[in-house]
Amino acid sequence: MLAGVVASLAATGGAVWLREMRPPSMMQPVAQTISTRDEKPQPPPLTADEERFATTLWAVHREATRSAVALSFAGIAYQTEGRDAHALAQRIEPLAKFFHDAETQVRAMGAPPSLTASQGQYVDAMALYANAASEMLKFTGDGDRQRLNLAHEMDVRASEDMLRVGEILWPGQYKPH
Amino acid sequence: MRKRAIRNQAFTWMVAVAALASLFGAPALAQQPICSAWLIESSRFMNVPFGSFMPDRAFVPGSTKPESNIPSVDLPVNIGVIKCGNELILYDTGWKQQDYLKMTGSDHWAPLPDQLKVLGFNAADVTKVVIGHAHWDHAGQLSDLPNAVLYVQREELKAIEWALNYPEPHIRAVNSDPGGCNRTPACGYMPLTVEEVYGKVLKGKAVIVDGEMEILPGVRIHPAFRAHTAGSQLLEVPTSIGKLVFGSDAFSSYEGIRDWMTANVQQTDTVQQFLAYEKCYKITGGYNNCVAAHEPLSYTDKYPLTKNSWVALNGGRMAELTLAPGEKSRKP
Repeated sequence: MLAGVVASLAATGGAVWLREMRPPSMMQPVAQTISTRDEKPQPPPLTADEERFATTLWAVHREATRSAVALSFAGIAYQTEGRDAHALAQRIEPLAKFFHDAETQVRAMGAPPSLTASQGQYVDAMALYANAASEMLKFTGDGDRQRLNLAHEMDVRASEDMLRVGEILWPGQYKPH
Repeated sequence: MRKRAIRNQAFTWMVAVAALASLFGAPALAQQPICSAWLIESSRFMNVPFGSFMPDRAFVPGSTKPESNIPSVDLPVNIGVIKCGNELILYDTGWKQQDYLKMTGSDHWAPLPDQLKVLGFNAADVTKVVIGHAHWDHAGQLSDLPNAVLYVQREELKAIEWALNYPEPHIRAVNSDPGGCNRTPACGYMPLTVEEVYGKVLKGKAVIVDGEMEILPGVRIHPAFRAHTAGSQLLEVPTSIGKLVFGSDAFSSYEGIRDWMTANVQQTDTVQQFLAYEKCYKITGGYNNCVAAHEPLSYTDKYPLTKNSWVALNGGRMAELTLAPGEKSRKP
């Protein structure tokens, strides 16, 4: 009887296995649901002046996003790779300089009147990142962990500000991944 | 006569092995929890050209072949919710739609804490978050899970950092338009998302995983390096319908796993993606218990594991995949 049960289980298991392992050519094609998108209103296209500003700012933005991620990674590396304050400082110093320079550079850009608020927001984001980097550098000197928490909060706010500007100037900058 | 003796001896050995297995194996199995699992649609990317999702399913105008007659599909962004005893685990966390991140072309987004409430859970009750990878649309909303410990592969972090420091600007680019990245190695790791990962690390609520790790008895992380990103990882979960394997974007498409077609090629080695598919076949005994992140057929009977579904917040869907004995149904 036990053998019968075992045989029966084996047969059932085998059947399931075979069903799942058989090549797709043996299967019924599945009817796919075609997209049912409801068209949403799109934001108005940028004017020529706005496009020019977006292109100029992009040159900074491309490096700013990379540097922002690098700033997060400097913190991750410090926490997970031996807590070497000297190594953290080495990573942060060029980023602090980048954000400081970027703040000055973006502030000096001539934005069309419709985008001055966005320009201001971007300047604020660069300043926040620069201040966050500065706090992290101070931490490497005095070891006050509160500085890291403060820097993290500033980084989050700066990241959100960058996204706010991006939503207007480059709404497709992040694709489904 | 001698043959019969050998047969009898073999049978005796089999019985002995079975007895030992029942003595030691059964208690071991008893310790392993049986988990319940649900799937949440975080949002849906609408009208995506099929060929950009699955190259082998590219639309060919006029074709009547089922593999090439569909121009575009809507892709859900799926989050796994797993309850094992008192532990509440999320596999992936979707992304967070805000005034500053509307993602035109997506629909049905709802906040993760609200979606968890629909299932009767609080965001603060989530104990563990395993992210299949750290792309912005899979590792968002981490700050809304204050008590959860994050599990991320060291390989994922190392690869992003390597890319960020690469001299060629296209290779180190994080964002896409204009003239930025699409599938280059740092692409898709949004500053806000990575900062949230750092936030978990800073608060001491992150585990950096090196390869395989059992995070609860029977609940096991498997590396799937380069199956979607450099440090992609799968999650094996024991349930009453057998083992499930959650795959994030290493398993973007259920049909892809079933039909051995690659899907959602980003920082992907397609050979490694097929090996990740094979891993699911080996662990679960087939393809039906492989949980895909973006399968267009999700929440329908054409993806049987997810067919027990309903429409929840803002038109987003949910599915009850399997319940542990004694676990109550969350389906309205």
